[in-house]
Amino acid sequence: MQRQRERHSETAQRGWMESSASIARQTWELENNIVSTDGGGGGGREDPDAIYWYDEAAQARAHQEKPWEGDPHYFRRVRVSALALLKMVAHARSGGNIEVMGLMQGKTDGDAIVVMDAFALPVEGTETRVNAQADAYEYMVDYSQTNKQAGRLENVVGWYHSHPGYGCWLSGIDVSTQMLNQQFQEPFLAVVIDPTRTVSAGKVEIGAFRTYPQGYKPPDEPVSEYQTIPLNKIEDFGVHCKQYYALDITYFKSSLDSHLLDLLWNKYWVNTLSSSPLLGNRDYVAGQISDLAEKLEQAENQMAHSRLGTFLMPSQRKKERSRMRE
Amino acid sequence: MASSSSSGLTFKLHPLVILNISDHHTRVKAQNQHLSSASASSAAANGGDAATAAAALPPLPRVFGCVIGVQRGRTVEIFNSFELLYDPHSHTLDRCFLEKKQELYKKVFPNYYILGWYSTGTDAQESDMQIHRALMDINESPVYVVLNPSINHSQKDLPVTIYESELHVIDGIPQLIFVRANYTIETVEAERISVDHVAHLKPSDGGSAATQLAAHLTSIHSAIKMLNSRIKIVHQHLLAMQRGEIPCDNSLLRQVSSLLRRLPAMESEKFQDEFLTEFNDTLLMTYLAMLTNCSSTMSELVDKFNVTYDRHSRRGGRTAFI
Repeated sequence: MQRQRERHSETAQRGWMESSASIARQTWELENNIVSTDGGGGGGREDPDAIYWYDEAAQARAHQEKPWEGDPHYFRRVRVSALALLKMVAHARSGGNIEVMGLMQGKTDGDAIVVMDAFALPVEGTETRVNAQADAYEYMVDYSQTNKQAGRLENVVGWYHSHPGYGCWLSGIDVSTQMLNQQFQEPFLAVVIDPTRTVSAGKVEIGAFRTYPQGYKPPDEPVSEYQTIPLNKIEDFGVHCKQYYALDITYFKSSLDSHLLDLLWNKYWVNTLSSSPLLGNRDYVAGQISDLAEKLEQAENQMAHSRLGTFLMPSQRKKERSRMRE
Repeated sequence: MASSSSSGLTFKLHPLVILNISDHHTRVKAQNQHLSSASASSAAANGGDAATAAAALPPLPRVFGCVIGVQRGRTVEIFNSFELLYDPHSHTLDRCFLEKKQELYKKVFPNYYILGWYSTGTDAQESDMQIHRALMDINESPVYVVLNPSINHSQKDLPVTIYESELHVIDGIPQLIFVRANYTIETVEAERISVDHVAHLKPSDGGSAATQLAAHLTSIHSAIKMLNSRIKIVHQHLLAMQRGEIPCDNSLLRQVSSLLRRLPAMESEKFQDEFLTEFNDTLLMTYLAMLTNCSSTMSELVDKFNVTYDRHSRRGGRTAFI
């Protein structure tokens, strides 16, 4: 009798935990306006896996019509599959402090670019190599061919690279590469991942960008979320930051993926508890503090020079001061 | 056919592999579904009966591929995987395709070797042994990963099984059979964050610091809840053993006692010192950040003050608005 009661309490507890977990998840999804993926393009189809179907005819039609030629701001959203995100983050992290790059495969869906998969390219990226992609063309062609044979029919729809430790934005070289891409390989998307900040912040640092064509004056955009950028890169960031715009990123996963991920949680909750971000991020934090010290020194010097001048601080120093909100 | 493995190898599986296989399967299923629905709808249009159109869902297709990773000593760590072509007539995998793909992956991941292959399905089958044997010339003891793609909400365990092949003597004939092996899920910090991110669909862009903190705390909270429930289960089990309701399992008791003996590790002098140093460092940094924040606010205030009470303006300064 007691054993039955215990077993009942166990199952009741488990049931309560499951229901509370699912209630928590639903509250989350509601609060964050998560919309479950509905059918890609087709009217009213509620099958969450429909997005995995590659509609050749529709894609060919879109390529012919080229609705993105008229409007530089045509693409507004990016939908990244769980698999692509995992692959990109894993590859970026495996590069350590070296920038790595790769390509993304997917399709377009109205004003959204859908990224289904990603693969790494065997080039060591340095910011000074303008045409790093030329070396990788053979690899890309081989890979795309084998993929088509194996049943992945999507085309290359963008490229990604990592900025380990210095944030998600496009540098001057990146901007020129992307402008070239957008001229000849439309539709194309640029994605930047920061694996160091991902690990230190506990959330994925990723940004998706498209450049404006040369000479286009963008309408005034609301200022996006501020991110701290190390002193040695801040000039590069500032010069080019008006030449591209960021797209919203949402994620999707198939029903099987969701099911597997739920079950995975049962295994890796240990890692959640045992991971210690303090220890893992020591180097990065030390680097950030020294960068901060440099910025403060620079600010002080500028103040000393303009002591008799205006009391209004230039906007750069204001940016440095306001980075203390961390 | 599947008994427990005795080779002593420990297997570690990365979540990327699981997602890879699941994605491969979903893709093939989606393509097949549309092909069959297209043909079924055309059949219905041509006058076929509605019953066949309704029951036109094809059986779940099996997909095949290769798993790659690193083997260090007795630990086999599976990092990644890629698809392969399967010839259903000869029950073999396309060899030159495999080699081409392997070359490509070698360029990007030079450390990874082919460790085995995967497929979807419910259990290891006889025909799989042929494929397994074919791979044995690349790797003397390949692993076979099976993912069960049918979604069953009542099961609590990952529907992934890893099989090894072992030479057993059955009826006097030495044969290779599949034996089940245990595995653990291994993640790197970055992988864990992205898996967590996608699993719970946390907001990726900003939100405020409050929502991010809430998200972080929620995940820690659920992990602690999980730990709590597991401890309770072990506790109940031990109580039941004490009361004699279940037979005493000595190996389990040994494991529990070794676990308990590890607990007082946190009470030692050295640990407290290190811990407090770490703690103080963090507090110092937070203090520093707050100080800088304060000084920046202060300087902004001074700026605003100077603008409103500008001594060099025409009004001669010190003019207060009434």
